[in-house]
Amino acid sequence: MKGYLGIDVGSVSTNLVFLDEEGRVREAIYLRTRGQPINALQEGLRQLAGRLPENTGILGVGATGSGRFLAGIIAGADVVKNEITSHAVAASTLVPGVQTILEIGGQDSKIIILRNGVVTDFAMNTVCAAGTGSFLDQQAARLNIPIEEFGQLALQSTAPVRIAGRCAVFAESDMIHKQQMGYSLPDILAGLCEALVRNYLNNVGKGKEILPPVVFQGGVAANAGMRRAFEQALGWKVYVPPHYDVMGAVGAALLAREKMAGGGSTRFRGFGVADTNFKAGGFTCENCPNLCEVVEITCEGEAVARWGDRCGRWSGSLGYQDEEIRNAV
Amino acid sequence: MKIGIPRALLYYYYIPLWRTFFEALGLELVISRPTTKTILESGLRHTGDDVCLPVRVAFGHIIDLKDRVDVLFLPRLVSIARREYICPKFLGFPDMVRQGISGLPPLIEADLNLYRRDSLYPFFSALGRNFTSNRFAIYLACRRAQQVQARYIQLLENGFFPEEARAALSGGTGEEQREPARGWPRVAVIGHPYNIYDPYISMNLLSRLARSGVHVCTADNLPETLVREHAARLPKHLFWSLGQRMIGAAWHYLQRPDVDGIIHVASFACGPDSLTGELISREVKRRGKPFLNLTLDEHSAEAGVVTRLEAFLDMMRRRPLLQVGGNGR
Repeated sequence: MKGYLGIDVGSVSTNLVFLDEEGRVREAIYLRTRGQPINALQEGLRQLAGRLPENTGILGVGATGSGRFLAGIIAGADVVKNEITSHAVAASTLVPGVQTILEIGGQDSKIIILRNGVVTDFAMNTVCAAGTGSFLDQQAARLNIPIEEFGQLALQSTAPVRIAGRCAVFAESDMIHKQQMGYSLPDILAGLCEALVRNYLNNVGKGKEILPPVVFQGGVAANAGMRRAFEQALGWKVYVPPHYDVMGAVGAALLAREKMAGGGSTRFRGFGVADTNFKAGGFTCENCPNLCEVVEITCEGEAVARWGDRCGRWSGSLGYQDEEIRNAV
Repeated sequence: MKIGIPRALLYYYYIPLWRTFFEALGLELVISRPTTKTILESGLRHTGDDVCLPVRVAFGHIIDLKDRVDVLFLPRLVSIARREYICPKFLGFPDMVRQGISGLPPLIEADLNLYRRDSLYPFFSALGRNFTSNRFAIYLACRRAQQVQARYIQLLENGFFPEEARAALSGGTGEEQREPARGWPRVAVIGHPYNIYDPYISMNLLSRLARSGVHVCTADNLPETLVREHAARLPKHLFWSLGQRMIGAAWHYLQRPDVDGIIHVASFACGPDSLTGELISREVKRRGKPFLNLTLDEHSAEAGVVTRLEAFLDMMRRRPLLQVGGNGR
């Protein structure tokens, strides 16, 4: 079997998918990043290698997510793309005709507007992360319910309570208040979902023309309560695609396929990188008052990539410099 | 005598004017160093939390200057065009500085107020009397300064960026025509000069775009009359000069078929920006051009800006790919 590898290294989860040549998702892996993107990526590659047949050929690799540059270096990616383009490509391929993508991940949320298969507008959350996966995780932990059951519990609600969703801190104190007042847990959870959806639509979705079909993806799309709250607020059916939680990785793999269609061979380092000793380190460059925080990635003790400097003193000092990273804006 | 001028706020508009005037009177100019982390942080330490980013940066520049000049030039900018004002923070800036920073050298102040009378002479006359009693010398310096400023404006309108225009002025090579810029897509960057031309504050926005092949144009590349013509389409005269400029330029570029997209750069906590941004985005919606709103503040992470820029460029670049090829992926 031959196919394409997509990697999405996000703040909360690290996802890998394997697409066959026709673009079908054959394997998908969802792991928690736990603040250690290199380990998570290596673990993901190890698991994927275990699941794929012995003679699988990787034709191209795409990396996305906030850790895309890191992932691009470690795995050897042919394409390093931002999350917005990756999510849009995945959704418009798997759900033809999609006009609106709602994406809520661990620490960021975005909205992407498409018309005739082309992205026409997008937005990401700015200064506030209220309503993202991390906050839902934290509230589930505080209420002592597994995050997997959050959505089903919220669906049992008959009269959702109103919770202030403007700010995660206030939402939490409001929830505690409602608990003290004696409201039922499902009503509080459903109220929280509604508050977060309201916040999302007013903040990220501000001024956007949301038209059906609407696709909801990202880790939070697993939460049926959030999906129902979106449907109620928008008045349309909200579609959660299969592989909703790894759509970024699917998009990256599709972009790798698009790139490799132009010919050339992949820069994939092989599944062996799972056992190579990669280290990410950093230092503050004190050569000028900018005090840039430079990141240095070493492979078996040898520097393979550096970035984070404004002047190019460090990033340009390696003989080998990754083309995809150099070409990024 | 050394006179210090902060590399901040309207420096980017007026430096040829100030420089020519003071040098004609025999003063030595000291410009603060380009913005760095150290300058920004010292500005943050000396300002309250309700102050906008550009003013904070300006504070940092004054601290950078204060111990190495004899006098500091801090004009009180009230109005820079007839029947218009500029942001009240410019008006109160000298007072804020006197309140917030101790150990200042003597301040050279004069009110620049063109609200009723469109002549710079009273302003320069008041300024010049600090250094000489020779009125004729002041008159000549004023005239020479305005000639150089007019050339500077002409260079900007010919497509130069401020830094290039200043180089052309000081080189005196008479290079009035810039090599025509190329690149695709063509993007208009609309924002205050002190935000977009300060590479530290804008996170190298202009050079990032140029490096990835984008043809960049700004409001300053347009003649004042053209900008005002477009701004006049507003139902009511906008009395902020800078907002007028941004709206007029944005509306002009929006109707130009050779401009593919618009980036609006705002600074967080800037009142006028929140208004101009909204007015621009409403017009964008009617015209349907790709649009990106970037908000800068002192916490801005480069990663967020890079992701948005990449997605914005993809939005324009992938458009023809999908429409013409049909099966790009």
